[in-house]
Amino acid sequence: MNHALRRNLVPVMLCVLWVALLGTLAATHAWILSPRTLTSVLQFATILSLAAMGMGLVVIAGGAGIDLSVGGTISLSAVLGMMGLGAGLPGYWLPMVCLGCGVMLGLFNGLLVTRLGILPLIVTLGTFYLFSGLALALTGGGAIAGVPDWAVGWGRARWGALPMPFITVVLPAFVLLSGLMALTSWGRWIVAMGDNERAARLAGLPVDRVRLMLYALSGALAGLGGFISLAWLGSARPNIGVNVELEALTAVLLGGVAITGGRGGLVGVVSAALLVVMLRTALLQIGINTVWQTGAIGALLVVALLVNRFSNSRG
Amino acid sequence: MDDQSGVGRDLTLAAACVAAVFLFALLSPAFGTAGNAATVLRNGYELWLIALGMTLLMAMGAIDVSVGAVMGVTAILTGQALLADLPLGVVMLVGPAAGAMLGLCAGAVVVWGRIPAIVATLGLFGVFRMLIFLVLGGQWLSGLPADLTRVVDWRAAGVPAGLLIVALAYGAAWVFLRRTTYGPHLLAIGFDEDRARLMGLAVTRVRLATFAASGALCGLAGVFYIAIYRNVSMTIGADIALEAVAAVILGGTPIFGGRISLVGTVLGVLLLRILQNGLLLIGVPSLWQTVVTGALLLGVLSAEVVLRRARTGAA
Repeated sequence: MNHALRRNLVPVMLCVLWVALLGTLAATHAWILSPRTLTSVLQFATILSLAAMGMGLVVIAGGAGIDLSVGGTISLSAVLGMMGLGAGLPGYWLPMVCLGCGVMLGLFNGLLVTRLGILPLIVTLGTFYLFSGLALALTGGGAIAGVPDWAVGWGRARWGALPMPFITVVLPAFVLLSGLMALTSWGRWIVAMGDNERAARLAGLPVDRVRLMLYALSGALAGLGGFISLAWLGSARPNIGVNVELEALTAVLLGGVAITGGRGGLVGVVSAALLVVMLRTALLQIGINTVWQTGAIGALLVVALLVNRFSNSRG
Repeated sequence: MDDQSGVGRDLTLAAACVAAVFLFALLSPAFGTAGNAATVLRNGYELWLIALGMTLLMAMGAIDVSVGAVMGVTAILTGQALLADLPLGVVMLVGPAAGAMLGLCAGAVVVWGRIPAIVATLGLFGVFRMLIFLVLGGQWLSGLPADLTRVVDWRAAGVPAGLLIVALAYGAAWVFLRRTTYGPHLLAIGFDEDRARLMGLAVTRVRLATFAASGALCGLAGVFYIAIYRNVSMTIGADIALEAVAAVILGGTPIFGGRISLVGTVLGVLLLRILQNGLLLIGVPSLWQTVVTGALLLGVLSAEVVLRRARTGAA
């Protein structure tokens, strides 16, 4: 019992945090627990969930995998998408352009990591500044307006209390990727190479190819996030991805993914992403100064790491 | 062999600095003046100090991405000490002391929590940023007296005191690295931490001390920041972690640790500041600075790998 508890310390902590948060809110600010809050949480969680799923798979695949550039990718693909429209591309190309930019940026990370063998943290730290710097420099810091009406209509539409982008992008992506992890050999390869890369290579798994694909996937999800930010806000903001890497990494670790790879799943990651957004929304609605949010999320990241380490250690 | 390639690298970097100076002097008449040379050096003070700490950390196989926020917190404390009319000697010690404490916090989390430095310091970056927000509350700290500025710009035989302090810091680091056991132990940990521990080195103590030293250097950088700019905005230190990492890698201290080059870091910082100053003077907007720094970092890392492969392939 004790052993089982210790092995699953992070999922237990996640559940406790959810119960504590909802319980506290129900007891003190019951009015917050409304369909309107659900809508706003899911709306804000859309981009973060996508980024966190991509980051989660990259971390699970091990090899010190991490993608600090997700925020920069979101900003840059949104900006490039709108610049494409400005250059005369027809409006219906917008999602494809954002997605394509995301894939290219992700592939760039992946190639530097797998072909040149540079540490992922240093590659993506560099591309984080490169991508977010480019997004700022290309726009001069201002927003680019002029997102087509159909996109904004979709981005702000709802089905009941559920925002359309969450239903039509996040849920399918979640189902698809969970299926990939649970049912295909790719899923098993990802976990296996994260658990023991040497053994995976000796067994003949295409470790480098899988890893390259995962960075591209992380980029693709971030690119979709960029498109969703356009559809939701109606303009490309070069700073839309600021802090997303911090929040996504927090969600990944709080969701039970081991930072060393080989352990964790997407259910935990998405549930933790929702928790992070719920916490942020609750703080906002109670009227606690927004400056606490970055700190609270940073602290949550450190705590998740420590608990994760504690539950991993055998001694 | 290491020494040979180290010297060759320093010469290459020095040549790159000279080449950049000539190029910019040709392109912009404002660049090649004595006044501008002094400006470039003066702009380098904080980065030289922070990059020195980063060099020690990276030689040990660690990294700290929270340095910008540590500089921010200590700059604010220094500014408030200045406003409180404390004696100047005390004012100058507040920053380094507070910085050492924050560095020790980061070190404690990394060392005792046994978690990767990049993730832990990313979380702490969020926490320290919150401290900055809380203290500043969306305002600027400005209108500070010029007492510290006079200290930093005071000239002894034509050499500004600021440059002397930076040189002293590097000299002290050199003495510790070459004349005490600290240097060999630091490199041994960077080379192979487990083996260093088995050899009976005081791994924990060395790592904690290095984090604290890096924090103290960030604190000193905070003092310089106040002296030079005499105000603090909310975005203080946003990009300096990237600049420091880029300067260290340019200088030839590898990300994996095990090797160190102080001269390389000095030259790396110089090259970065020359490029930034020169690009600004030939009319490139300052928003492009992060892009250039990020691209330089990734370019140098990639070139290193390609060159190494070419060399081993030929041999």
